[in-house]
Amino acid sequence: MKGTKVAYFFLLPALLYVLLFGLYPLLYNVSLSLRDVTFITYIQGTARFVGLGNYRELFANPIFQRTFSNTLLFTGLSILFQFTIGFLLALLFNRSFPLKGVLQSLIMVPWVLPIIVSGSFFRWFFSDNGMLNGFLLAFRLIERPIPWITSGHLPIFSVTMANIWLGIPFNFVLLYTGLQGIPEELLESAEIDGATGWQKVLFIITPLLRPVILATLTLGCIFTVKVFDLVWIITQGGPGDVSHLFSTLSYSLAFNKLHFGKASAVLIVMVLVVALLTALLNLFQREV
Amino acid sequence: MKRKHHRWKWTVYALIPTVIIILPLYFIAIAGFQSVAEIFHKPPHLFPPNPTLAYYRDAFVTLSLYLKNSVIIALGVLCVTLLVALPSAFALAKFHFTLKRPASLILAFTQVLPATAVIIPLFLIFNRIGLINNYLGVIFGISVFTIPFATIVLNAYIQAIPTGLMEAALIDGAGFLRIFLSIILPLASPAIATASILTLILAWGDFIFALSFLKERTLQPMSIGLYNFIGQYGVQWNKLLAGSMIFAVFPLVVALLAGKAIVAGLTAGAFKE
Repeated sequence: MKGTKVAYFFLLPALLYVLLFGLYPLLYNVSLSLRDVTFITYIQGTARFVGLGNYRELFANPIFQRTFSNTLLFTGLSILFQFTIGFLLALLFNRSFPLKGVLQSLIMVPWVLPIIVSGSFFRWFFSDNGMLNGFLLAFRLIERPIPWITSGHLPIFSVTMANIWLGIPFNFVLLYTGLQGIPEELLESAEIDGATGWQKVLFIITPLLRPVILATLTLGCIFTVKVFDLVWIITQGGPGDVSHLFSTLSYSLAFNKLHFGKASAVLIVMVLVVALLTALLNLFQREV
Repeated sequence: MKRKHHRWKWTVYALIPTVIIILPLYFIAIAGFQSVAEIFHKPPHLFPPNPTLAYYRDAFVTLSLYLKNSVIIALGVLCVTLLVALPSAFALAKFHFTLKRPASLILAFTQVLPATAVIIPLFLIFNRIGLINNYLGVIFGISVFTIPFATIVLNAYIQAIPTGLMEAALIDGAGFLRIFLSIILPLASPAIATASILTLILAWGDFIFALSFLKERTLQPMSIGLYNFIGQYGVQWNKLLAGSMIFAVFPLVVALLAGKAIVAGLTAGAFKE
């Protein structure tokens, strides 16, 4: 319909809202990251301009280097497993059977549970005398408790496992919806031609689903690189800063150490990594 | 008969991964019925050996104030979100205008922004204007993400409402505001329900905004009440998990009653992972 002025009138509140509370803060980070902003210098208004100083310090810092590799590891492993499991589930549910609706709703459970609930569970599950060690000890698979989240190199892998569980519904739903769009006759005629189940998946479903697959992977990347709550609840990035992701490192720099400038620099790096990953995936889309 | 039998086979196949996926929820639920000694028993109990409601009752009493705050915050977010998202969805769905594409892009972009990327500046700004330790600060923060999401979900639906209806009303002399209020809103009610359900679930589950903006205990929602619990030395895990279960009841009931709506909304908005 026509009525441009009217349209802007209706759109204005939402647009102003996201500009003011979303984009402006995002850009404000850039300015913070170039200055020496701590709580005191912010209050007094004396934060000096330090150029790329915050960034230089970060990249020279072993904790940041570890955070960088943690984030890539966390994202890579999470997506690999979430996507595979979600895809297999979507294939499994891509037919009608009794109680399908109920089971589908149950698969959504990790998505609807408040993060503090799943986070608390996993913190207990992975704790030294928690459930996982409880089972492993009882079946004599291990002799002493494994420090899943309390020391060594394991914490980042433990939170990754928790995150994989968390991400299954998302991948399942997007891929399942994509599968619904594939005409059944196509699969039936392939069957008549003697295609096995896996041949159908490989040669018919996957190519037809390519746009959905890429969208799922792209969104998965965006959402996984930025994970905060789960890690904050299970390990707070610890022990000894070994299990930080960009978001948790930034948060602890800002709210524990009150060094807002450095915290913002970490965020800008995170946003750039997300942008790079998204661009790479879309490049791939264009080439195939 | 044979055909039916064949289909039940797939129910069994699908049941196995489903059970594995909801197993954590089962263990959370039964932990609340056991004593601390029982939940740390090796091997872990698969059923509570001496079930008692005492810990659930305890947790409910300790946490009821937090629960009230969760309700206030979730309803606040719902109001702000609908108030802002409904008109914008109407504008994007039913009008052609120059800035339509940039506006949609900005909304889609905001929706995938990391909360951590806005939280530091918002904290500094809100600190200046008195929105820290104030329900409104958290409500405004969460709404940054629910508004674009709700707009996208609503937009998809309102587009499908026949434009002819509106044009007829225009000819009859109705204004755009009138059309919005008495044609679009009633017809879009299923989409409003879906958007509301998802907004409530997201606001209910929020952790980071309440963690950063509400330091005063009397204002904190359940997510932070439970988090304070974990921070204590010598956590009473059974009580904590009982409290978690109480907190999870609302989204779980909604998921079971409105599973279809969640799936539809999630696909349209592709919001939270």
